Amino acid sequence: MLCAEFEDRLTDYLDGALEPDTNRAFAEHAMRCPVCHDLLSEVKKTLSACRASQAPAPLAAELEARIIMSTMPSAGMSCEEFEEYLTDYLDGFLPAPLFHRWERHAAICERCTELPGQVVRSIGACYTYISEEMPVPAGLHERILQATLGTTDAEEVRAPLAARIGAWMRSLLDPIVSPQFATVATMLLVAVLVLTSTVSADGSVGGMYRASIRLAEKTYVNGASSMKGLINQSEKQADDKEGIVRE
Amino acid sequence: MAVGDGAELVRRCRAGDGAAWEEIVSSYSRRIYNLAYRFTSRADAAEDLTQEVFIRVYRSLEQYDSKQGDLQNWLMRLARNLIIDDYRRRQRTPHDSQADDLEDHTYHLRSGAGSVQNDMERRELGVQVQAGIDKLSPDLRTCVILRDIEELSYQEIVDLLGIPEGTVKSRINRGRIELAKILRRMRVVAMTNT
Repeated sequence: MLCAEFEDRLTDYLDGALEPDTNRAFAEHAMRCPVCHDLLSEVKKTLSACRASQAPAPLAAELEARIIMSTMPSAGMSCEEFEEYLTDYLDGFLPAPLFHRWERHAAICERCTELPGQVVRSIGACYTYISEEMPVPAGLHERILQATLGTTDAEEVRAPLAARIGAWMRSLLDPIVSPQFATVATMLLVAVLVLTSTVSADGSVGGMYRASIRLAEKTYVNGASSMKGLINQSEKQADDKEGIVRE
Repeated sequence: MAVGDGAELVRRCRAGDGAAWEEIVSSYSRRIYNLAYRFTSRADAAEDLTQEVFIRVYRSLEQYDSKQGDLQNWLMRLARNLIIDDYRRRQRTPHDSQADDLEDHTYHLRSGAGSVQNDMERRELGVQVQAGIDKLSPDLRTCVILRDIEELSYQEIVDLLGIPEGTVKSRINRGRIELAKILRRMRVVAMTNT
């Protein structure tokens, strides 16, 4: 391969577009000819340097905003509108088209670009201020008590006796009555069930005993009669058996 | 304070129990005093206003109904109404300007990433925020305090001030922007993140 042909095919070689035979001839020439060898390495070096260096990357959002603003100015937003929508933007209430117009304005307007950050920091400062509550000035409590109760010693002012007794009763009854209501109700129910079956007609203790004795007698009679029935039955069964055997 | 406790305290107050009233005063005076201070920016005026609020609350105890919300909500609603009324009244009458021109001052606020502000810096920041809020016009100031310091919802502010929601929103928005610009001029809020 001649040097002129080497130069002609250089780009194809670098692109890997040469036929295998030509490719081999090209490589052999590069090995033999120092001038062409240098040329090849020089071109390779330049190419890699070109790849490494890129155009300074523009801010994507800013570039996009500039393109849209120069082609479609109606998609822009004035500084006044921008400020008007700031809280809605921060709250996340801006509908999509407005949102994009707002963000484009934020990206390209030098006057407005810092404003959202400042507002956020200022709101943050307000929140810090919330936690910094000042203590009540000395003497204010006393002034308020004096103005309302007529004295600074609040303990002195007591509710009337009746109201206090009422409150005392409530405090006494509350823990007893309310939580144990179910237990009390059950006890009452049991008492009613027991008493209604045993209590005497006249309600006296003597009458209650008599009623109990009557109940006991009745139970005994019932038991005895059923026992008697059982005996009769077994006697009858025994007779039947005898009859079968006899037959 | 639990809801039940509040209702019980009010019941005891109505019966004439001074200790119960003292408990209400000491539970809420700090919050009400701070709210009053945010509107008045003066300790003596805030004290007077706090006292006025409690006198009014004391006289209105009969109107409190525990079914309509807990004591704190009722009390703070009453306090806000009175404090805002007072503020509006004062705005209509001429008064000497209280705050000196803070724009001449330069504050140094560390904006370094991750630096923990110590108590003194926080306290200083509180003073600066109050100074910034003082510079807002009355309408904007009211809305910013209620939204960003008292943390009320838009609807609560609408109910409290009796103005349309759109107006409330735009005042909050305008107030925040103005406050941010004022704090920037005072160099409280750092110019950039760097």
